[in-house]
Amino acid sequence: MILSGISIAGFTLSVFCDVVTREIGRPWLWLQLATTGFFAWGVFIGMAVATRRLDHLNLVEITKGMSGPKRSFMEIVNRLVILAVGISMLVFGFQNALNDMGSYRMPSLIPLATYTASVPISGALICLFCLEQIINGWRHGFEGPEDQDDFAGIK
Amino acid sequence: MGNGAIILLMTACFLGFGYMGVPVAFALMAGVLAACMFTPISMQSMIGQMFHGIDSEILLAVPFFLLVGELMTSADVTNRMIRLAQTMVGHLRGGLAQVVTLFSMFFAGISGSSTADVAVLSRTVAVEMTKEGYDRAFTAALIACASTMANLIPPSIMAVVYGATGNVSIGGLFLAGIVPGVLIGIGLMIYSHFFGPVGIRKPRASLCEFADAARASFLPLMIPLIIMGGILTGWFTPTEAGMIASVYILVVLIPLLNRKHVPNLPRDFVYTGLLYSLPLALVAAASAFGWMLAYLRGPDIVSGWIELIAGHDGRIIMLLLVLLFIVIGDFMDAVPAIIIFMPIVIKLNELGNINSLHMGVVLITTLVFGLITPPYGLSLLVASKFVGVRFSRAMFASLPIYVVFFITIAFTVLFPDIVLYLPKLFLPESVGCFKSPTGAGYICPSG
Repeated sequence: MILSGISIAGFTLSVFCDVVTREIGRPWLWLQLATTGFFAWGVFIGMAVATRRLDHLNLVEITKGMSGPKRSFMEIVNRLVILAVGISMLVFGFQNALNDMGSYRMPSLIPLATYTASVPISGALICLFCLEQIINGWRHGFEGPEDQDDFAGIK
Repeated sequence: MGNGAIILLMTACFLGFGYMGVPVAFALMAGVLAACMFTPISMQSMIGQMFHGIDSEILLAVPFFLLVGELMTSADVTNRMIRLAQTMVGHLRGGLAQVVTLFSMFFAGISGSSTADVAVLSRTVAVEMTKEGYDRAFTAALIACASTMANLIPPSIMAVVYGATGNVSIGGLFLAGIVPGVLIGIGLMIYSHFFGPVGIRKPRASLCEFADAARASFLPLMIPLIIMGGILTGWFTPTEAGMIASVYILVVLIPLLNRKHVPNLPRDFVYTGLLYSLPLALVAAASAFGWMLAYLRGPDIVSGWIELIAGHDGRIIMLLLVLLFIVIGDFMDAVPAIIIFMPIVIKLNELGNINSLHMGVVLITTLVFGLITPPYGLSLLVASKFVGVRFSRAMFASLPIYVVFFITIAFTVLFPDIVLYLPKLFLPESVGCFKSPTGAGYICPSG
């Protein structure tokens, strides 16, 4: 979460400096690269953090209305789907990042991989958080105090 | 396997996993990866497409508009605007209901997020409404409906996403959203006046009280001027306008109006950092989904169906798309809906020779309606949670208010000249006008 905060603070500062340096007639072109870097890393790290905190947007939180083995089954299936996507992000994202070592962003000639590496790292974190949730849920159950609210929508 | 069957499989995976409780971004990607198994497209390129989906400078505006809303909400500066709304309309029948709508119109000019609007109103005016005897279901329904204006009145996150994916002027979309946004506001005020609870009638505020409230909220109300003024004069891009508004709140508003909040600023940044990744994770996944849909010739299939019914009549095409998007908005979030269906929208724009800006504002108005309709009415879900009422009760209370949205959507479709008046006036190029060769004025497409 702190990394997400750093990313948004970072690109607020870099966009600010970009405007200021442009207005005084001495633009720093690399600031735009820094901005997109902070932005991309922020999105993918935030995606992983939201997986751990269960903050992602859902169509319907149908599992909150369930309990017992039915709930455990559904929660584990859901986590396995997320895990599959996370593994794909890790494996294929890593291959993309390796390919991008040979591509560069102009004008600073920074390898494109410094941006695209955010995808496999996010994938790795998503896998870790998913496994953590499956293990904890298996041991202690998936029910939590947040299930009591009416946010589950249509049950 | 034929293209139609793969599209069905992809959609079934997305909706099936989505309704089982898998987060939308992951359900979308699961559908895309399943489709990869039946096409020559590699999974590696689809994961790469996720990155390319967010690698757009225009989308940088999204976090800034969320940051502005979050800073304003947590710094408690919004109370001043609520007081101003109270002095303006608090004496009318259903006074607090009128305050909710008017405040939402003010707040919509500051934040691009409906959820931020719901959070502010639920914490402040909703409590007062309950004390005055308003039905909680009505309160939740009204707050949810009023919050939808945040996605129409600029700055609007939906407009940023639509402009970035559809290559439509964001400044133009911002300006075109003002008319439907204000129409919804006026409609809600008329509904509350004639059909809402009476509330407690209060005396009309004196001119001094109004002047006092206006002075107190002068600084926060400068934000819409900064954002739109910067964009319209061409001084800032929408991203830079969002950043300038954030810096204005950090450097001017919070130190002057709520200095105690300064130590909590890092928390606001951390929270917004997480908050902005949620819609943008959807953008990343939806752009991969949309890419695959376009590869499988989904736009050709759907536009073929629509062409069968509507021929090349732009107005009927638009009405059919509105019906399609009302259904889509019921089942999924607006951001992925815009990205996934953009190739289809572009194809139909060409088919019916429809102005892309007009189509954009019509579809955004339609998707905004999806925020209050079941089963995926996000604003209504959040409002019912915050106000403390069952979702089903809030939904029934919001049913009569749907009329306001139907009228607004119909108006937006049928009267493009009025809806596009502001973009034509301030950003003629955004509507397709071009400079006259004589140098005097603009030449605009007719209709």
